[in-house]
Amino acid sequence: MDFSLSEERKMLQETVARFFENNYNDIKKRSEYLDMNDGFSREFWKESSNLGVISGLISPSFGGLGGSGEDISIIFELIGKSLCIEPFLSSGLLSSTILSSIKNPKTELINQIIDGELLVSFAHMEMNNRYEDYFVESKAFFEDENWKLNGSKSFVINGDSADKVIISARIEGKINDKNGIGLFLVDNNQINNRSYNTIDGYRAAELNFDNIDAELLCEDDLALECIIKANSAGALALSAEAVGIMQVCFDLTLDYLKTRKQFGKSIGSFQSIQHRMVDMMLEIEQVRSAVMLASSTFETNSSTRDKNISAAKNLVGRVGKLIAEESIQLHGGIAMTWEYSVAHYAKRLIMIDHLMGDADYHRDRFKLLSSN
Amino acid sequence: MNFEYSEKEEKFRTEVRNWLKETLPKYLSEKVRKYQRLTKEDYELFMNNLSKKGWIAWHWPEEYGGTGWNAIEKHIFEEEIVKASAPRIVPFGVNMLGPVLIEFGSEEQKNYYLPRILNNEDWWAQGYSEPGAGSDLASLKTTAINKGDHYLVNGQKTWTTLGHHADKIFCLVKTDLNVKPQLGISFLLIDMDSPGVEVKPIITLDGEHEVNEVWFTDVKVPKKNLVGKENQGWTYAKYLLTFERTGIAGVPNSKSALNHLKMVSRKSMKNGKPLIEDPMFSSEVAELEIDLLAMEIFNLRTVSAAAEGKAPGMESSLLKIKGTLVRQKTTELLRKALGPQALPYLPEQFDEGWNEMPIGPEYAGPIAKQYFNMRKISIYGGSNEIQKNIVAKASFGL
Repeated sequence: MDFSLSEERKMLQETVARFFENNYNDIKKRSEYLDMNDGFSREFWKESSNLGVISGLISPSFGGLGGSGEDISIIFELIGKSLCIEPFLSSGLLSSTILSSIKNPKTELINQIIDGELLVSFAHMEMNNRYEDYFVESKAFFEDENWKLNGSKSFVINGDSADKVIISARIEGKINDKNGIGLFLVDNNQINNRSYNTIDGYRAAELNFDNIDAELLCEDDLALECIIKANSAGALALSAEAVGIMQVCFDLTLDYLKTRKQFGKSIGSFQSIQHRMVDMMLEIEQVRSAVMLASSTFETNSSTRDKNISAAKNLVGRVGKLIAEESIQLHGGIAMTWEYSVAHYAKRLIMIDHLMGDADYHRDRFKLLSSN
Repeated sequence: MNFEYSEKEEKFRTEVRNWLKETLPKYLSEKVRKYQRLTKEDYELFMNNLSKKGWIAWHWPEEYGGTGWNAIEKHIFEEEIVKASAPRIVPFGVNMLGPVLIEFGSEEQKNYYLPRILNNEDWWAQGYSEPGAGSDLASLKTTAINKGDHYLVNGQKTWTTLGHHADKIFCLVKTDLNVKPQLGISFLLIDMDSPGVEVKPIITLDGEHEVNEVWFTDVKVPKKNLVGKENQGWTYAKYLLTFERTGIAGVPNSKSALNHLKMVSRKSMKNGKPLIEDPMFSSEVAELEIDLLAMEIFNLRTVSAAAEGKAPGMESSLLKIKGTLVRQKTTELLRKALGPQALPYLPEQFDEGWNEMPIGPEYAGPIAKQYFNMRKISIYGGSNEIQKNIVAKASFGL
């Protein structure tokens, strides 16, 4: 049994940490990046590529340098610490997961993603399909030797700046059939998209498409498998991101308890507050442990992988709420301001529960997978 | 990162498991499984088996007859004991006093007591808590007045677990009343058959006799029974309390309780269907299972750090808090799972040889009782509130 990181991974961790610290040293920087055209900094993205951060998310079989559960967790925990908004999740992880899991992997496209030249977003969610892997209403049909797509996709992270989009669409069957789904690759310039910022400071888009040309990537069982795999990878990444955020929330709160004085003493001297900090610390260690387990089984069979990821994401949902709310409460009024960073960390932490399955979704999936 | 046990560790697990299969009598594991009352002989049988095998003293250095196991091996051993439904190892002599004597005892004390502990010749009890000294242990009032060749002890200890079986008790006593509380405490070994020692049972809320009051009235204790130096007892007491406890989270116990909970909620019915199919109830079970899964890894992280020689610090406190909450939650859900079947209370059901018809399913009998009994675990061993104080003081710098 060994819970420590290998020398290689420690180096990855140190390099990426230093890089993020230098570029994301202050919450104002993040706002500047968000205000840019694409909702993030192209320059930072390119530098991330040069440093190997994107390739750290992708397996060597497809030209990357990492891609294991541990690599993903290390990088996303640091993304959480910095509250970094570049398209690591959308392009770096979700799309590359699908492009590498199909029958004829799109290695060339993956390499362009690694090089920071190509952005691909994964468009699966629809306005009313919540978190399900197989609820798909958008339609695909074959006409004149070509695949065409009709429908709309919602909450597509970085859906405005992406060069290409991977769209899930129904080839046949009813909205909730597990069979009959296809995954398609589409040029984004064919799509009508309405972009907006999310409440936690990301850029997303609503996509509408009407008889656009598409390339079929995979269908039926394999398509569903790819969607599940991408969503699981995403849930693991977000869980690791949450660990990073929770640690920052805790540290900021503890610092504040030492400096803020009321009734003539630092508020950290009050026992009721100390005990709440211990509760937070304990739950963060629980989440950290669950994420370690989920990362370590990421490459095993899909039911063990998904069971442990669901355990982690469920715990992240529950503990995330605790940490976000307690960080704000223990800070008091200052945490209600846009200017102070803890508010942005808390918002992201809460909204992570609205992506890739919330605590309820993952609790139910855990139930299903542990009764099998 | 690698969460697998090594081949050597798996081999050790098999060895322990086979040994338990061979040596643990069926009637005894049956009693433990059914939460029946264990006699003194039941405990002794298991501990004598461990002694014969050389597996009793797993916190002692090898030169004193300890097992030399590292934290992972201890963890595996604890898991297997619980899985086999063996009685618990009565810890007062071997896990508490032993390490204190090895560290602070005189040669004479070590030579006399340690072999007797290894062979279970003495049943030791712990004399720490008093009616007025619980979380604030240093405020204890039992006095030991220096009378030249002996101490004269007067006072009262309480919550003395299994004290009614004990031959001897190690006590914290006041030897200097005129200094700060922590500075006037000594660590004394007292024979339970000394004149003036009286044991009175305390019946707990579940109707059971497990703990006692121990009264001391003009009890003469020979000077050679003082451990270490006079008025230095607080140091030894703290050493004992903070002594490495790999099992503090109680993961194996909670795992077996969770399996039990799943079994009961498959058999309990709601609206004509197994309770486990009720979405609300099964959700509570699932989140408990997730908490336990996370805690198991947290515990293993701590255990594996300890095996590499890093002394667990605040992790022990955090694990104690979480471990007790998880364990209590299993007993709560078991109680809820039974519905009205939790009501009947037949104390005689827990006696060996009881063979009447139970009311309701056989597994129902102990569940409510066990729920009430388990309220103790967040109180004893340093209450959860005290654990929070310890963590805050040690790691927040407030």
